[in-house]
Formats: sequence, structure tokens, C-alpha cells
Amino acid sequence: MTQLDAKVPTIVATEHVARARRRRRTSVFWLALPLVAIAVLVVVLPMTGLLADPRQTDLDNTLAPPVFLDGGSWDNPLGTDKLGQDVLAQLVVGGRLTLFIGLVGALVAIGPGTLIGVLAGYCRGWVDLVVSRLIDAQLALPFILIALAVISSQGSSLPVLFLVLALTGWAACARVTRSVAMTLRERQFVLGLRAAGASEPRIVLRHVVPNLVGTIVALGTLQIGTAILVESALSFLGLGVVPPDISWGAMLASGQDVLSRAWWVATFPGLAITVVVLLVNLLGDALLTHHDPRKRRR
Amino acid sequence: MARGEALLELRSLTITASVADRQLLLLRDVELEVRAGEVVGVVGESGSGKTTLARSVVGLLERNVQVATGRIELVGEVLVGPGTDLTHTARGRSVGMVFQDASRSLNPLMRVRRHLSEVLERHVDGIGRDEVRARSTEVLRRMRIDDPDRVLDSYPHQLSGGLRQRVAIALAVVTNPALVIADECTTALDVTTQAEVVALFRELVDELHIGLLFVTHDLMLASDLCDRIAVMSQGEVVEVGPTDQVLRHPTVDYTRRLLAAVPHWTEGASATHA
Repeated sequence: MTQLDAKVPTIVATEHVARARRRRRTSVFWLALPLVAIAVLVVVLPMTGLLADPRQTDLDNTLAPPVFLDGGSWDNPLGTDKLGQDVLAQLVVGGRLTLFIGLVGALVAIGPGTLIGVLAGYCRGWVDLVVSRLIDAQLALPFILIALAVISSQGSSLPVLFLVLALTGWAACARVTRSVAMTLRERQFVLGLRAAGASEPRIVLRHVVPNLVGTIVALGTLQIGTAILVESALSFLGLGVVPPDISWGAMLASGQDVLSRAWWVATFPGLAITVVVLLVNLLGDALLTHHDPRKRRR
Repeated sequence: MARGEALLELRSLTITASVADRQLLLLRDVELEVRAGEVVGVVGESGSGKTTLARSVVGLLERNVQVATGRIELVGEVLVGPGTDLTHTARGRSVGMVFQDASRSLNPLMRVRRHLSEVLERHVDGIGRDEVRARSTEVLRRMRIDDPDRVLDSYPHQLSGGLRQRVAIALAVVTNPALVIADECTTALDVTTQAEVVALFRELVDELHIGLLFVTHDLMLASDLCDRIAVMSQGEVVEVGPTDQVLRHPTVDYTRRLLAAVPHWTEGASATHA
């Protein structure tokens, strides 16, 4: 009888654990899916010919409302801007550039940032001293100042935008990876590896960096969000993507002066930025959990 | 390695640390030797220099810590002497080290199998995959692990504390080093597991004729395992001798106080194996 009693909660617990396990395993999938869908959509849709030409102006049809408002039509499902350009087509084509800038912008910041941070945190000594002061100096400068300085001297183009993203993004990554590398180098298993005769480059590459992957992934996804936001901000100010190139930030800028009359011009790209940045951040969080074998179930 | 041959010799070893323009004496004139097939215990209170002593042999001293004078010889080779520091060449090959807490001394992202293969590939030239596999299994069996394959395919966090510590010991001995240093390696374990680990060490020393430098603050444990005991206080070895003699007839006041501090220490209850 006692045995029977004891069994009941066990079964309940197993079921509960199994359900939790299923949920955890799929969270990365369910977050990555919409992002991949968005990415595929913005690449494939313009090729199908279903969309209007995003750069086709129509001055007889400016600021047309979206289809679900009075006066809207399926010709421009999300309405048109002040030049009569189709907002949906602009949103899709602009999404391409925005996502591309987000990805590459994150990579150019994360790559050097991680390298510098790990070197400083693991080597310590004068390397750390120099790097730390550089990070401090970098973080003390407002990003808009750097952006203005670089863009006004180099002109506004995609490579320059990446340069700005790298210059403004590396320090935060370096600071975080430095501190993690510092705690890792004092961890007993690193000491044990040294005692077992492993060479320093091997310890860094095979043991310290893999233990940093979770941090790097989290930083990377956050940085994608930041890069998209920076691009939007710069484009909004007319310093980033400028017409005829289209990005969500540039759309936001072109929609601001008509916001009171035609909210849809700026709202849809704004929504798109919000949703993508949110998804990317949640995905980063899920990946972080997924990477750590201690948090992952067997 | 013939039994009785001196493996590790510390000769008038003095180690200092530079802290804010001052030189702090961590070890003063330490004389100690470990012979093959012998367990030498290093006991003393916290801060007495036990860990510094252990780490100096494998060159794991902090940046601001230097060997001021003296020599460390391992199997007749001068590891540390005036102007030389070869500790890095001895690591893993002739010295294995076991740390305090195995949950922290293993890389959490690597399965046990990779821990072992990494050490083997580094220290055994031209070792093949099959041999790595065979030696990994063999060393875990030697650690009295019944199902080596399951343990080999586990991540550290999936093992119990006792199993983890045995894996850590396996890592230290898999390359057949002459000397093993255990730094407080039983502190994080419960009493039963401690006894198992101690028995395992005894077996390894008796069968493989390795030398074992066993650093601990636990006098009871030291009395169970060690052949000889060195008592350390404030960076000096104040007393060294056979376990029985040191614990039953301490010549130094410090040792007496140390013994008095052990709860339920009764004369004769110790050193049963010797």
C-alpha cells in the first residue's frame, strides 16, 4: 500500500518533467522559425513579381490608406507614402537591407570585440591595462559623435555604416568577454589544464572560448538588435541609408513628417523593427539556455 | 620506478610574493622529499603554505609569486633552480595534480572521454584512437568505476561528487606520472566518499609505485593514508617524520596544538594502517 502511494507522485513528476523538456527543446525552434520566415520572405517576395515596384512613384496616389481603412485598396495593401510608393513593397525590400545590416553589423562588432576582450581577460598584465583604458575611452564617447565624425569625413555608404557599427559596438562586447575570460582563467579546470601541461593557445581556443560561446551568442543576438536600431536611428537622421536605397530606418524617417496625416507610412516599418529586434533577443536567450549542457536536459 | 627512490626533492625552497612594494615570505627554507611508493602528507592550518608548496612543483604560482632561493628536483632533474624554471615541461608527463573540487576542475562543456583523450594526446606521442579509448577505459576501471563507458560519455555535471573526483584522479594518473599531487582533494567530499578516495590512493601508490604528495588540513585523513607527515606553520616545515611518530610523539608545540584541535583525537586511534 505504501509502495502504491509512493508511486503516484513519481508518475506525475515524470510527466511534468517530460512536458517541460519538450517545451524547452522547441523554444529555439519556435523563435527561429518566424525570423527565418521573415528573412526568406524579404528575399523571395520581390522575385515573384507579386509586389509593386517599391521605387515607382505615383503622385496621383500619394498617402493612400491601407486596405483595411476607408479608401484603401488591394493595389497598395499597406498604403502609399508621400511619393505614392507602395509601403508593403518598400517594407519587404527595406527588410532585406535592414536584416543584412543587422547581421553583418553584429559580426563586425562581435568579432574584434570578442578577440580583444578574451586576449585582455586571459593575458591580463599590460595588454589588459591598455585594452581597459581603450574600452573606457570608447564608452565615454557618445555613439552619435563617433557616427557623425566618421560619416561626415567618409561620406555615407554601407561600408562606412559597418565601420560605425564596429567602432561603436566592439567595446561593450570586449568588456563583457573580458570579464568572463577573467573568471574563466581563474577557474579550477583551467588551472588543472595548465597542471596537465596543456599549452596556453590550446587552453584559450579549446576551453576558454567554447565556454564563452553562450556569452558570445547572447551578445551577438543583442548586437543584431542594436545594429538594426543604430541603422534606423542613423537613417532617420539622414546619416545612414539614404534614398534611393530603402531600409526600415529610412522609411521611418520619410514617414515622420506625415505622421499626423498618414500614420501607416512610419508605423509599419516601426512595428517591423520592434518585432524583429524582440524575436532576435528572445532567440538569443533561448540559444543561451540551449548551449549550456547544465541547463539542457539529457 | 623502484620503491624508495627519491622522486621529488625540495631543497631549501624559499618562495616570496610581492605585494605593494613589500616582499611577503610564503615558504621559508622548505626541505622535503617524496619517494616512490610513498605518501607524504602535508598538514597545517589555512595559510600555512601547503597549497603554495604543492603549486610550486607544477609552476602554478601566481604572477607576483617567485621562487627566491632553493631547488625543486623531480626524478633527478632540476625543475626549479637558480635561473631555471622547467615546471611546464614536467606538467602532466611526470606530475599529475588533483584539485580540491572536481566539480570545478573539469571543463563543464566536455565529456569525460574528451578530458582523458586530450591529456593522452598531449603527452603520449603518436597515440592512436584505439589506444586512447583502451587506456581511458582501463584507467577508469582502475578507479573502480564499474561502467566506464557510461562515465566516459557523461558530462561532469551528470556525475556524483565521488565519481567526479575519481575522474579527476584518473586524469592525473592516466599518463603514468611518477608523482601525483593532491591538493585538499577530499575536502569537498562526504566522509564515506573520502574513505573511498583514500583507499583508492593507497592502492594506486602500492600498485604503481608512484609518489603521492597529499596536502590536507584533515589530520585524521592524513593519519589513515600517509607514510610520512610534514607539519607546516607560517611557511615553514616545523616537523617531518613517519606518521606514527609525528602524531603520537610530536616534538613541536605547534603540532601538539594542531592535534589538540582535532575533535575526539585519542592517542592510539590513529595510524591504523602503519
